[in-house]
Amino acid sequence: MENKNFQVVGQITPRKDGVARVTGQEKYTVDMTLPRMLYGRTVCSPYAHARIKSIDTSAAEAMGAVVLTFKDIPPIRYNERIITVEWALHKDHYILADKVRRMGEPVVAVAAETEALAEKAARAVKVEYEPLPVLIDPREAMKPGAAPLYDTVMYGDKEIKIENNIACTRDVIEGDVDKAFAESDVFVEGTFKTHKIYHAQMEPKSVLCRPEPDGGITVWATTQSIHNTRIVLGQIFDIPLSKINVKRMAVGGTFGSSIQMNSVVPIGVALALKARRPVRLTLTREEDMHDHGRFGTDAHIKIGAKKDGTLTGVEMEMIADLGAHIIQGYSFLGVSIGWVVSLYRLPNVRYKGVGVYTNKAPGCAMQGYGNPQATLAIESLLDELAEKLGIDPLQLRLKNYVGLGMTFWGQGPMVRSIVWSDGVPELLGKGQEIIGWDKRESPDTKSGRFRRGIGLGRGFHTTSAGAPQPGDVIDFSGALVKVNQDGSVDVVTAMVDHGGGTWEAIAKLVAETLCVPLDKVNVVPSDTFSTVYDVCTHATRGTYAGGGAAVKVAEQVKKEIFETAAHYLNVQPDALKLRMDHEQGQAVIYVPSIPDRKMTLKQLASRTWSESWKTIAAVDSYRPTNCPPAYVTIFLEIEVDTWTGAVRTLQTALGVDCGTVVNPDGAVGQLEGGLSRGLGMALYEDNEWNDQGQLLSKGYWVDAKTPGIMESPALKDLNTHFADTYEPTGPLGAKGIGEAALNPVPAAYANAIYNAIGIRFYELPITPEKILGALMEQENMVKEGVH
Amino acid sequence: MKPQMITLHINGRTHYVALNPNLTLLVALRDLGYTDVKSGCEKGDCGACAVFLNGVAVNSCLVLAAQADEGEILTAAGLGTSEHPHPLQTAFSDAGAIQCGYCTPGMIISAKALLDHKPHPTDAEIRDAISGNLCRCTGYAQIIQAVQSAAEKMDAGGEG
Repeated sequence: MENKNFQVVGQITPRKDGVARVTGQEKYTVDMTLPRMLYGRTVCSPYAHARIKSIDTSAAEAMGAVVLTFKDIPPIRYNERIITVEWALHKDHYILADKVRRMGEPVVAVAAETEALAEKAARAVKVEYEPLPVLIDPREAMKPGAAPLYDTVMYGDKEIKIENNIACTRDVIEGDVDKAFAESDVFVEGTFKTHKIYHAQMEPKSVLCRPEPDGGITVWATTQSIHNTRIVLGQIFDIPLSKINVKRMAVGGTFGSSIQMNSVVPIGVALALKARRPVRLTLTREEDMHDHGRFGTDAHIKIGAKKDGTLTGVEMEMIADLGAHIIQGYSFLGVSIGWVVSLYRLPNVRYKGVGVYTNKAPGCAMQGYGNPQATLAIESLLDELAEKLGIDPLQLRLKNYVGLGMTFWGQGPMVRSIVWSDGVPELLGKGQEIIGWDKRESPDTKSGRFRRGIGLGRGFHTTSAGAPQPGDVIDFSGALVKVNQDGSVDVVTAMVDHGGGTWEAIAKLVAETLCVPLDKVNVVPSDTFSTVYDVCTHATRGTYAGGGAAVKVAEQVKKEIFETAAHYLNVQPDALKLRMDHEQGQAVIYVPSIPDRKMTLKQLASRTWSESWKTIAAVDSYRPTNCPPAYVTIFLEIEVDTWTGAVRTLQTALGVDCGTVVNPDGAVGQLEGGLSRGLGMALYEDNEWNDQGQLLSKGYWVDAKTPGIMESPALKDLNTHFADTYEPTGPLGAKGIGEAALNPVPAAYANAIYNAIGIRFYELPITPEKILGALMEQENMVKEGVH
Repeated sequence: MKPQMITLHINGRTHYVALNPNLTLLVALRDLGYTDVKSGCEKGDCGACAVFLNGVAVNSCLVLAAQADEGEILTAAGLGTSEHPHPLQTAFSDAGAIQCGYCTPGMIISAKALLDHKPHPTDAEIRDAISGNLCRCTGYAQIIQAVQSAAEKMDAGGEG
């Protein structure tokens, strides 16, 4: 039922962990130390593709270091990301490399008394390599005769052969594309290329492991999922999960890079188990840049339409550059077509996705998980189609978008649900007004050095991977909510907050449900021992699924409060209500019709403690059966300097439909951060490799071109806005924001640049060099009279 | 390599430390428990480890600990406490200028270095002062706003 008279939800409140973060008191994994702790280091391969001929660790051992090589680790191949169910899971990874498949791959691990000694020991290890041909381009890697990265990998519990470095393929056919195309009047098509870029999360990935006397292990780790980390560790080390405790930590941003168990985690565990002492292992920034990146894509897409702009079908072929290991390639192939058919109604679909191994950093989800890549293609093609048909691009979108009551694919073909809330027309209308869309002029009216353009990108992200039926993606959360003896409330959840304010949102939702003032509701520190399962903070699901679980459990607690209070107040439980009393700083349980029958939650909890001997508490799991789209529309006005090729962002209108806005200031921050990362992806970020698989940035962060403060538009020019919607399946009407905030940004830049200079770019990043090159070509064509 | 004795005055406390001459100030500070000094890249790229050394903001990963011998060091934790945060710390927390918080201590040091010399900075001056600090979460707009609002508050209250 829609109720927007909230007392806590939607209010701007000081962030609970704010003081800890601004004074530097917040502890991240890399800040943790233990008595008698050893420091770990890895010996990383200087080659991108090589056989390991021999390893000599004697010098390192002579220094007193604990040393691990391939022969010391459990001979188990695993996939570090187990959000995908077992039957659809490829496993090609050992704790330490059996063979080197990317630069910087850990081959040997050491642990020693000091960081300096560990470094010295690592350098003393001698590894003899036999270099193999390096494959950087997936198209080259797929050619028959190309050097194979793998002979076999595990798929579920079966060993499968890998041919032509093709790790996985996925075909999706819906309706009849040939018939749809035969009945179409007009087509648009293009080959869109996106690159592998670096997540650039601020916190270096780290792990601290303490072996326990009972044979178990305690693990502090940079991760987005404490339970999945524990499960994979249990599988690799054959330790009962009841003896593995993974602590939930503050995380210094992830953007998807810690969805999977990080490579340092099992190495740290193996070192600690061997040393019988605590070990901390942290990746250097350079090692981290070799450890993961966004999936690169190369996709040919063709869309058919009728004269009136009705879309008829889509044909898409995509090659995904998986890098040296398959972390989530099969799912990636599925979601990529899902993003396409969920943006616009494309009833007829023919899709082939191919995931290819290359000697580069393994691709893993990075904000959007293929969605910004797909959205770039579709939003570019929609603009081309609008131009061909002489229709306003905004109207073409309104005519075809997947909205209220329609089916969409939240996460690939197996995760489908219905749209129950839809703020798209509102978002487009507001953005249109803010940016001055109607004054937008065509590119051929523009001349001079500085040319301005207005562009639109619209998109969405799935909020969770919830669906009515089980699919290939696991999605559920859980929570424990308990009322303390003073009427305050503990929320115990495994859900990780990677920085966006998920814990704040969960606390607000519980405070609202139980009418307890926000300062008395806390999301408390937790670990795998004290929590029920939560799959992962990914898929824009923190507030929706983690918050959904907390609200579901808080409702059970509320029932228990009423049933218990009913005895003390001598009334029917159903007659009771809750309200927030700010003067007393308490929830008050009362009967509207009998004013003197009331008690505070503190009075109730105190009596249940001393008289009834019970804690009012509940614990449960929550499986979302929907994955509502969080819609975002991005309007940009940019200026292209035709002398330098530089693109400057002048004004934006960033709109989101996230249902009920739980943390308004946090939500604005999500939109602005999404713009910044999208701007980087669109215009310059690159983590390029040379033909030998070496990073051109050499591990220097600035050379990977993470956006800095100079490129950031001013706050007054950003114009963030929210659609007024209520998601009936969400906790108090909320959906997510997260990934949606980035997804349409690169497309909006591509469209704005086209509107400025009349040149369409199909490959990211759209660097000044590319813009200048294209402008020169355009000029030459004009000179030669070619059109 | 022989350890060397050095003296560091950190946030008003004096530490006598024996350490190898090749260790950075960042490592020395963190080993002494000053984990409010964040380690982001150890190459001077990100600014997360910024501290004041004798009144000048430096990336502590680019300074050898031995160079800081007898130096006065101020870190984000020395700037304010939970009970009495520095106006910049309050402004960062209130303006939504923090998300994951990992870059925040270094950002605040850079911002204080600016306000120490320019109590009324322009937008361009703020950007220039923060240009050595990376933040991946926020997109910077709210960071600029936080610095502006702290400057206004400090001006009105004579703090800082």
